[in-house]
Amino acid sequence: MPGSASVTTGGDSASPIVFIREIIKRYGANTVLDRCSLAAHEGEILTLLGPSGCGKTTLLRCIAGFIQPDGGAISIDGADMAQMPVNRRPVGVVFQSYALFPHLTVAGNVGYGLRMRGVAKSDIAQRVKAALASVSLSGLDDRYPAQLSGGQQQRVAIARVVVLQPRVLLLDEPFNALDAKLRGSMQVELRHLIKQLGLTALFVTHDQEEAMTLSDRIAVMRAGRIEQLDRPDAIYDRPTTAYVADFIGASNTWYSRVDGGLVRLPDGQTVSTTHSGDVKVMVRPHNLVLHRASSERAGSWSGKLVFRRHVGAMMEYEVQLPDGQAIRAVGLHGDQPVEPSPSESVTLAVRNPAACMVFPAA
Amino acid sequence: MTTQWRYREFLDRLGIGVIIAIAVFSLALLVLPSVVVVMISFDTRAFISFPPQGFTLRWYQEVFNHPVLVGAMWTSFKVGVVVTLACIAFGVPTALACARGELRGRTALSIYVIAPHMVPGIVLGVAVLFTGALVGIGPSIWLQAVTLSVFVLAVMVRTVTSRLQRLDPALEQAAANLGATPFQAFRTITLPLLMPAILAGSVFTFVEGFDNLSVTIFTHGFRDRPLPIELLAIVQQTSSPMVAALSGVQILLAILAMITLSLSVGLDGVND
Amino acid sequence: MTPTALHGPFIDRLLSGRGIWPAVPAIIVLAIVAVIPFMVLLSLGFSDVVSSRGVIISQEFSLRHLKAALSDSLYWTTFRRSIGLAVTTTLLCMLLGFPVAYLYLIGGKWTRRIILVLTIAPILTSGIVRTYAWIVILGGRGVINTTLMQLGLIDQPVRIINTHWAVLIGMVQIHLPIMILPLIAVMTRHDTRLDEASANLGATRLGTLRHVILPLATPGLGTGAALVFTLSYTTFVVPQLLGGGNYLNAATMVFEQVVYALEWNKGAVTAVILMATCLIGLIGIAALTNLATRWTRAGRS
Repeated sequence: MPGSASVTTGGDSASPIVFIREIIKRYGANTVLDRCSLAAHEGEILTLLGPSGCGKTTLLRCIAGFIQPDGGAISIDGADMAQMPVNRRPVGVVFQSYALFPHLTVAGNVGYGLRMRGVAKSDIAQRVKAALASVSLSGLDDRYPAQLSGGQQQRVAIARVVVLQPRVLLLDEPFNALDAKLRGSMQVELRHLIKQLGLTALFVTHDQEEAMTLSDRIAVMRAGRIEQLDRPDAIYDRPTTAYVADFIGASNTWYSRVDGGLVRLPDGQTVSTTHSGDVKVMVRPHNLVLHRASSERAGSWSGKLVFRRHVGAMMEYEVQLPDGQAIRAVGLHGDQPVEPSPSESVTLAVRNPAACMVFPAA
Repeated sequence: MTTQWRYREFLDRLGIGVIIAIAVFSLALLVLPSVVVVMISFDTRAFISFPPQGFTLRWYQEVFNHPVLVGAMWTSFKVGVVVTLACIAFGVPTALACARGELRGRTALSIYVIAPHMVPGIVLGVAVLFTGALVGIGPSIWLQAVTLSVFVLAVMVRTVTSRLQRLDPALEQAAANLGATPFQAFRTITLPLLMPAILAGSVFTFVEGFDNLSVTIFTHGFRDRPLPIELLAIVQQTSSPMVAALSGVQILLAILAMITLSLSVGLDGVND
Repeated sequence: MTPTALHGPFIDRLLSGRGIWPAVPAIIVLAIVAVIPFMVLLSLGFSDVVSSRGVIISQEFSLRHLKAALSDSLYWTTFRRSIGLAVTTTLLCMLLGFPVAYLYLIGGKWTRRIILVLTIAPILTSGIVRTYAWIVILGGRGVINTTLMQLGLIDQPVRIINTHWAVLIGMVQIHLPIMILPLIAVMTRHDTRLDEASANLGATRLGTLRHVILPLATPGLGTGAALVFTLSYTTFVVPQLLGGGNYLNAATMVFEQVVYALEWNKGAVTAVILMATCLIGLIGIAALTNLATRWTRAGRS
């Protein structure tokens, strides 16, 4: 996972460069941001991740100043943004549509902010050149946006804000306009670019893979609040709420009762927990192992295989339990001495009970 | 079964054939009268007859040597320019309000702006004539230009509004984010992107200023009589091929207007 | 490029707000040149004014002019004629215009371009010029008469111009583009995959036309009809030039009362009646369009 490689930046000791305190935004009776707080540190890539309508884009637009929040405070680099007009905020926005000016050339687009700041013409030319070089677009100065590929447009959009040396880069779903094939490579490239330029970036997406690839930390949002803010691997392995566990990655869910600090799993193993009463147990598909009912390793938790498929080097299984619940399990291709075939009886077991996630029910 | 299908097929072809025949007839009906007029404008004989004989530019020379006609064309040209400039000056800001104002305000506003264009031209013309008389403003080139501007303002507002509504709002936000003040963003981003729509709107407002009769007939000045008024008088008095030549000139202007349109928003963009 | 005093914070606030006040200048001008004149028109038509040397001495509400107009048989014949002419023109324009829109829909790039040119060019040409063309064609020594005489079909020129028929022909031809343009707008947005789906489901081209294209084009027909009705009801170029001197429609009547007879109260009443009837016509067209939309959509063959 590329995202986990360099998470050392943005440790808790550094002072936050973007500090958001209890932001509120309402539209009529609808509360889009509900006392949402967040701190982003110098040099980190922080992702706001959540389904549509969770308020992530609204939060980004509040930081950029396109929307006035109804309450709370935003400060960047220690300066309060409340009275700061949009055109003087030290943030650079990369729009979902890129919003490149169609009537200006690439050089015209990249130089636009410098012209608005009254920078001398000769300086502009020089800085535009440098900015285009930094995103490897040298030589395309005189093209118009319509003559560029999606990936090139994205880089112009980045160069256009980077040339102004903003304190923070705000990216609003910058991969939406690209086709699926390009996205993967562009994500890695964008992360390298941002790191290379030493920028702090806030990045909005609804795509968890994108978030995993790009981020140093991920803020999972739900209904106008941040549900969990942590490193990508921690978000995946140690979600603090059932919502996050459900939203990030696939999981199997069932309900159980805590008995003496232990939860009994369907295969007979137990997990210890601090919760009590009714709980929701969630298990990742790769934490389940599957055996043919006829093999000697067969356990007691059984069901019927209804579907299996190759996903690259992995095998994905869907097992139907006697009560009708469908369980998903994932294993390495070739793990099974004999692959079970559909409609065959199989048994399931949890590989590592400690990696099961237990949350209070309801 | 097969014969039934064949019969259906036959009926279908017949029906579609009739429809296409009507379409071709309609298109011919639109263009042929103008073609006839242009042909006659080159006729060497001094009376209207068909088919025309010979070829001469004499009638065109006569048009441009006719002091009254040239004066009327100049007057109408001035009116067209004033109407267009007024519609740009008042219409573009109004379009901004129509496209971006709060919902209730902008709905009421667009109805208010469109209404004078929906009222029959002669009603507006008569009303302005009466009102002017009450306050001591008689018909003049200015009264004509002002009334026509009010009459066609809707065209400019509608054209520019629909362009504005299709502009990505992120463009102005991007400009602001890059440091532009709202005025700078408008001047460097929005206005250039609106130019095709403003140009297309200008073609229509100019043509209305140049050609309109219904409003003009009640509001024009008696000393500088505009082209449509002179033209109406001339057409009623004489059928000399000079009138055909005058028509030829106007048709040429219409073609120029159309080329401007197709270069600005494209002919299929005219409808927006 | 720092903002100068001229376009400083004031214009910036103006441009960034969501208020309607960039429109204020236009609102004021429209109030002075459209709203007030319209009220003056109403007051002239519905009041008795005693004035001396242009100074109004007394003015009170009165239906005298309206009553006089309604008891005058000339009003009735003129308005009946105008409405009849406008309705006929509208129907004929629909009949001739819809096929052009259909041809536009099924046509290729060049067909479409030609239709656009032939539709937009007349709109940009003076109505007088286009009516004059019909004098040339329909006149006593016009194209039709000379051709017929040369062919030996007639000895004497036939009188076509200065008849009701000449007016109708001119009316239809002049207003046809106004009908076609909104229909083309509908056709441009029409999703041709619907037609393919319809054909794939077994419909003939006529069936697709009737059950897919026509229902979706009905609002466009309504818009076109409204425009053609308003314009043909209130025009006076065509009746004046092709109907002869004594062909009176509502618009020519207003003109004669105001400009020749200088009977302003009378003219004001006529103008108000013209506008009121026009409005009623438009409401009728809107209702019919609604009905037709429902009928064409619900209908089975």
